[in-house]
Amino acid sequence: MESMIFDTAERLFRDHVSHGLREDAAAGQCPEALWTRIEEAGLHMALVPEEAGGFGVPASEALGLVRIAGAHGLPLPLAETLIANAVLARAGLALSGGRLTIAEGDGLQLERRGGAVHASGHLTLVPFARWADRIVTIAALDGADHVLSLPVKDLTVTPARDLAGMPRDDVAVDLDLPGANAAALPVSMGGMRRLGALVRSLATTGAMETILKMSVEYANDRVQFGRPIGKFQAIQQYLATMAGETAASRTAAEMAADSYDTAAFALNVAAAKSRAGEAAETVGALAHQIHGAIGYTQEHALHHFTKRIWSWRDEFGTELDWTKELGRAALSSPHDTFWHFITDSTAQGAMA
Amino acid sequence: MTLTAFPSPPPGADYDDLRQEVRAFLAKELADFPPEKRAESWNGYNRDFSRKLAQRGWVGMTFPKEYGGHARSALERYVVSEELLAAGAPVISHWIADRQSGPLILAKGTEDQKRAIVPRIAAGELCFCIGMSEPDSGSDLAATRTVATEVEGGFRVNGTKVWTTYAHVADYMILFCRTGKSDDRHGGMSQFLIDLKTTENIQISPIIDLGGEHHFNQVVFDNTFLPSDALLGQQGEGWSQVMSELAFERSGPERFLSSFALIEELIRLLRKDSTEAQQAEIGRLSAHLKVLRQMSRSVAGMLNEGENPALQAAIVKDLGALYEQDIPRLARSLLSRPAVPGGRDSYAAVLAYTELAVPSFSLRGGTREILRGIIARGLGLR
Ligand SMILES: Cc1cc2nc3c(=O)[nH]c(=O)nc-3n(C[C@H](O)[C@H](O)[C@H](O)COP(=O)(O)OP(=O)(O)OC[C@H]3O[C@@H](n4cnc5c(N)ncnc54)[C@H](O)[C@@H]3O)c2cc1C
Repeated sequence: MESMIFDTAERLFRDHVSHGLREDAAAGQCPEALWTRIEEAGLHMALVPEEAGGFGVPASEALGLVRIAGAHGLPLPLAETLIANAVLARAGLALSGGRLTIAEGDGLQLERRGGAVHASGHLTLVPFARWADRIVTIAALDGADHVLSLPVKDLTVTPARDLAGMPRDDVAVDLDLPGANAAALPVSMGGMRRLGALVRSLATTGAMETILKMSVEYANDRVQFGRPIGKFQAIQQYLATMAGETAASRTAAEMAADSYDTAAFALNVAAAKSRAGEAAETVGALAHQIHGAIGYTQEHALHHFTKRIWSWRDEFGTELDWTKELGRAALSSPHDTFWHFITDSTAQGAMA
Repeated sequence: MTLTAFPSPPPGADYDDLRQEVRAFLAKELADFPPEKRAESWNGYNRDFSRKLAQRGWVGMTFPKEYGGHARSALERYVVSEELLAAGAPVISHWIADRQSGPLILAKGTEDQKRAIVPRIAAGELCFCIGMSEPDSGSDLAATRTVATEVEGGFRVNGTKVWTTYAHVADYMILFCRTGKSDDRHGGMSQFLIDLKTTENIQISPIIDLGGEHHFNQVVFDNTFLPSDALLGQQGEGWSQVMSELAFERSGPERFLSSFALIEELIRLLRKDSTEAQQAEIGRLSAHLKVLRQMSRSVAGMLNEGENPALQAAIVKDLGALYEQDIPRLARSLLSRPAVPGGRDSYAAVLAYTELAVPSFSLRGGTREILRGIIARGLGLR
């Protein structure tokens, strides 16, 4: 199953996600036809449990799709839709199909009005909101986490974008939600911030793998002083550093994905998002150094990837947010020693 | 891009029962072992400790039972190794033998060599040293000048090895030297198993490190006679044999836990009271440690499967050395508390020891620049 879903995704993205498609998307055009193909292949449902209509791929494999999407710079909310559908399924809400996105619900107030739940407030920097059919978010009602499925057509969306030109919109919310679109989340999966951080860590890893590959190819092809620049030791050392950072990021992100829905998830995501963000700094800078001026142009594909990893660092918690959480957990843990904390895969953090 | 993939260690690789057994053993054995001794990390030498560890079955764990080993997995060995390092246990007297010399003898040695040596390694009785570096052959190992010439009944060795850690107490050395001429730079090399306690005409003299300690040595071979059965593996195959040792040598938890005593001291102090900035730094340190540990466990998993993850091991060692070298800087950026060699304040003493130790971390076992060269080649640079 793994190789099938991976192969499908890899082939689909390789054939259809071109530099031109990324350019058009950055200019505001949603690649509708590509989304249809993604839905036809069923990729958007991969993280939904079998009993809720998914096809029973282990979560760590379904999440692996996000790394592949990142490696191709896919300008569509596939990661967001995967998470949104998984959260809807967990809350027992209808899976409506279409493009979905996710948002942290801190800016929402919920109250009961008759049989419905009234939601009001603002969601900021919502990924792909204007291309999405629904925004899935989690907010508190009666002291418990509730999942909301907000139809975008009933919201006020003000366009904004991230460094890579991808929609990151402001959304004003003021509507009544029938029971079918709001439900308590029975067991917390860690909240939208954590789930978002997980997928951004995976996507960052995939994008960095592409950046590394492009940099190796460029170093082999570009000739100066009569030889490929990859023959110069300074360039080799940069590439090796990029490989180490990318490998660390991938290990961190996959460790978090492996622990999806377990006690280790909370702190593994904190480690993954902060480690990937730190790696992005180094990998982006060195890739541009290796590429010289051509890499600093719109014409060259590199910027689609470096701008994405720079943007993703800031979403769903920055390195500072996550290292603070992890550090607080380490310093306040009941373990006798730091080592006992690090090796206890069930260690819990003090929640932010 | 397979170089960036570190497959997860198999499920159940935590071996929690084993871990708790090791912890209980260490709590008892090292009850009075002070932080400044723990700071020596795997450089601490104590034969009794190694023997006691062996009695528990924790030396030669991966060796076959017929050679005194315990036929356990590389991942079980990993648990024991990391617990020893995290506690700062004095392990050097069996460490090198357990990590690389034993596996090398098992892989390349004759039946007689295996029977004579391996069970004693597993009993924690033998200390090994590595005779690779020379005055004019450091990173460039192929420039080795020490030569073993075939004579009646064996070989005569001439040359000088340096930086040989613990040669002054070791029972055996695995010597890397030249045995013939070859057009190939890497040809004509061999390895020998040398009994340091009985072989004549070997002169071992101390080299004192910048911390004032005697860890490493110069070892001079002056027409030293080695019997033919001292040859380890194939004559002329020394280069590829050495290369296959490196994944064992480079990927273990000792490549990022060498400063761990200082981390524990630092966190002990910050637990009482910490600012947000301090918490964030400890969080960063925790994230890096979790990830390095996972990468290193992944390599142990690959070794267990009989793969040769030499490139992944080079990545672990490069990242690991950066990490363990950075700990004194980090500590100094979080606490204003001077280093005092041998000071009564354990933090100050551990900081002092660690500051003097860290420069060696990106030299020993292959320098940072050499590792990165290996990684770059692995990336497919033409
Ligand atoms: C604490 C400690 C313990 C040791 N224990 C042992 C032991 O038990 N047995 C043993 O055999 N050896 C041991 N060594 C030696 C160790 O393996 C060598 O120090 C190491 O291989 C580097 O060799 P060198 O010191 O001669 O430095 P050199 O090789 O001379 O290197 C000096 C500098 O030049 C750089 N350099 C060299 N070649 C290149 C290149 N091609 N490209 C870019 N940069 C380059 C190096 O990276 C380094 O920065 C130990 C060393 C230390 C510090």
